[in-house]
Amino acid sequence: MSIATKEKLKKSSNTYRERKPRSYIMGIPISIWLFIIVIIPVVFMFIMSFKLKSGYEITNILTFKNYLDFFKKPTYWKILLRSFRMAFTVSITAILASYPLAYFISRKLKKFRNLFYMMIITPLWVSYLIRIIAWRTILGNKGLLNSLLINIGITKEPLEFLLYNQVSVVIALTYIAIPFVFIPLYTSLEKIPDNLINAARDLGANEFNTFISVILPLSAPGLFTGFMLSFIVALGDYIIPQQLGGTGGIMFGNIVWSQFGTASNWPQGSALGFILFFIAAVVLALTQKFGSREGILAE
Amino acid sequence: MKGKNNKILTETGSVALKEKRKFRLSFLGVYAILIYLFLYIPLFVVVMFSFSSTKSTVAFSSFTLHWYVQLFKDTGLMQSLLHSVQVSLIAVLVAIVIGTSGAFFLVRANFPGKRLFMTLSQLPLILPGIIVGIALLIFFINLKVSLSMFTILIGHIAFTTPVIMFQVASRLQRLGRTYEDAARDLGANPIKAFFLVTLPMIKTAIIGGGLLAFAISFDEIIITYFLTGTWTTLPVFIYGMMRFGLSPQVYAISTIILILSFVVIFFMAKFTGTKAEETKR
Repeated sequence: MSIATKEKLKKSSNTYRERKPRSYIMGIPISIWLFIIVIIPVVFMFIMSFKLKSGYEITNILTFKNYLDFFKKPTYWKILLRSFRMAFTVSITAILASYPLAYFISRKLKKFRNLFYMMIITPLWVSYLIRIIAWRTILGNKGLLNSLLINIGITKEPLEFLLYNQVSVVIALTYIAIPFVFIPLYTSLEKIPDNLINAARDLGANEFNTFISVILPLSAPGLFTGFMLSFIVALGDYIIPQQLGGTGGIMFGNIVWSQFGTASNWPQGSALGFILFFIAAVVLALTQKFGSREGILAE
Repeated sequence: MKGKNNKILTETGSVALKEKRKFRLSFLGVYAILIYLFLYIPLFVVVMFSFSSTKSTVAFSSFTLHWYVQLFKDTGLMQSLLHSVQVSLIAVLVAIVIGTSGAFFLVRANFPGKRLFMTLSQLPLILPGIIVGIALLIFFINLKVSLSMFTILIGHIAFTTPVIMFQVASRLQRLGRTYEDAARDLGANPIKAFFLVTLPMIKTAIIGGGLLAFAISFDEIIITYFLTGTWTTLPVFIYGMMRFGLSPQVYAISTIILILSFVVIFFMAKFTGTKAEETKR
């Protein structure tokens, strides 16, 4: 290495060192944001979850009662279990809907790939409420689906089981979850090099075998991420169960929510909220470990 | 003779294979169409009933713009629409400042606990909204801050910031610092290099991230609901309307929001350039 390049290297490493403080100044707003808007509120919630409520007063006595109540009162953990089951169903359904679609767009489609991709993810960013309104209209007692079924002659009376139960909640949640599953799946599918697939075909594998032994394993991280993201989305929702679930379709989010509304037991609500937080944190940690990097955030 | 036979055989074989492939492709295609229908029919239903003259949702009656006219007479609705624009606009502008500087910090600086820092700063977006909502509610009530526009605004800054930060960070990551280094070598000071070289290159990521954040913020209810006092945003107002059943006005306002959101998303896609576009084979 010539002296000149050595000098240059030294100089460039100097400029890097020189720049460091500037990067740290850039970190001030985000650090303040993180501290005040994210960390401190969660700490407040954590403390609140240990407070004792007696009568209408929230006392400063610290207790484990709120957490113990979660295990003691069957309604709490039973509804959590049910929410698990529903969120699991939603994730599986959303994968069944998204995988063939992502496969089709990323590997089969030659033209307009971008347009079709955007058409899937656009509903993710718009109209959460509007989609609930839509499903209430379709599944309602005097709704579109019922009138259609009566017109065709499949049924004479409107079917009441379409709305206000777990099925309607699962349908609406799946509708919300599809883009969350689709994005990581699509990203992992399109990254698979054509060479690998051609190699498998040259070695005599048919399309099905190629799919099973090459494409599916390589898209597994995306599959996992999609599953987990949609699981969290479904598990934490409280507006869809409220609007479409009736009494039979209540989920854990509704229990948490009611502690801040009608039940007015904030410490209990915080404890239940923290249990949800803990579950979400575990799911996200697992996703970071086994899933693909691409979530909903990457450009 | 033998060779000719073979040739014919392989030819018919490849024709059969092609047919088979065509069939598979169309099967996947049909499946894809069904999913698109599942995604878009509900939205279409909302738009359709906003133009229907009766309140029935059994079938479409005659065409009318009556419900749209009614909307503009509803002062409460118009007020909350204005509120929503205000909140989303301010939240996005603040998030652009915090998010962009934060992106530089996360991409350029090295410090212990960087991974943890990144994970924590994603939380407001990827945690269930209900947790963010109750945490902020408890925080505000403990500090004796009454629920107002300010509390809603803070809630929106919580989730818009990571949206913009990760859009800009991934752009910065991809660009590297070669161009900036070149500018520095040519004698530009850090500030000049930033404004003349780096900023123009990340501009589209900021605008795209900003539009995306605006779309999410404009529509947000899960967090907002916890932080709302008497000052309401549009989604909270619509949610209140829904308690008395779905009226054609709800469909009309939904249609307007839907169209606006699609326009915003269209421009966002133009600015950021999605993955699909980059990997054209």
